[in-house]
Amino acid sequence: MSVVYINIFLAFTLSFMGLLIYRSHLMSSLLCLEGMMLSLFVMMTVTILANHFTLASMTPIILLVFAACEAALGLSLLVMISSTYGTDYVQNLNLLQC
Amino acid sequence: MVRFHVGIMMTYIVFILSVIFVVSFVGFSSKPSPIYGGLVLIISGAIGCGIVLSFGGSFLGLMVFLIYLRGMLVVFGYTTAIATEQYPEVWVSNKAVFGAFIVGLLSELLTACYILKGDDVEVEVVLKFNRAGDRVIYDTGDTGFFSEEAMGIAALYSYGT
Repeated sequence: MSVVYINIFLAFTLSFMGLLIYRSHLMSSLLCLEGMMLSLFVMMTVTILANHFTLASMTPIILLVFAACEAALGLSLLVMISSTYGTDYVQNLNLLQC
Repeated sequence: MVRFHVGIMMTYIVFILSVIFVVSFVGFSSKPSPIYGGLVLIISGAIGCGIVLSFGGSFLGLMVFLIYLRGMLVVFGYTTAIATEQYPEVWVSNKAVFGAFIVGLLSELLTACYILKGDDVEVEVVLKFNRAGDRVIYDTGDTGFFSEEAMGIAALYSYGT
């Protein structure tokens, strides 16, 4: 396996850590989610192109479609939060009080 | 002399691009203000497109860069303009962001130095990675004048229905 995969795994892990650790904005966690999707796309495409899995080339496109749908869902949630509280700070999300 | 150095660099272009890919991921994972995170996500998307293009996937690289990134980042830009603050945080204005950025950079530099240490070094985490060239592609012969990944994507409508 070539060495490029280590860096792409590392990129996925870094944006996964960024997704789990909250700071102040919800928007930056959504950006880390997009980063995870991007690194998964690159890893999948590099594997498919290096091993000549021709018919599997449709899976990065399908991944992109579903990543776009989930980004739209996340953004609509953020717009609802922002219209209720004024900003998208995660400290406002305390209805459950836990 | 410049041509000689460019000739040496071109065999490691994929590794260099993947290092810049990780550095730009650190740039938005250390969570500055979302405006700057969005800008760095554009750069990392462009570098990821470059990695895909250097393996010969021209259709997929252009697909992710032109269509996916353009669509996503226009929407992200508008949403960030709704929910942003008056003084956005840069990477150097907050100790937590700066510390996270330095930690991410150090981990990538350590990984890159360990990989570049020798020519026969093998890195085994769960799988085995070797340095047998950055772009090891199995040679299955010439496929003619059409691009096989574009044919694979077009097969979504014939085999993939």
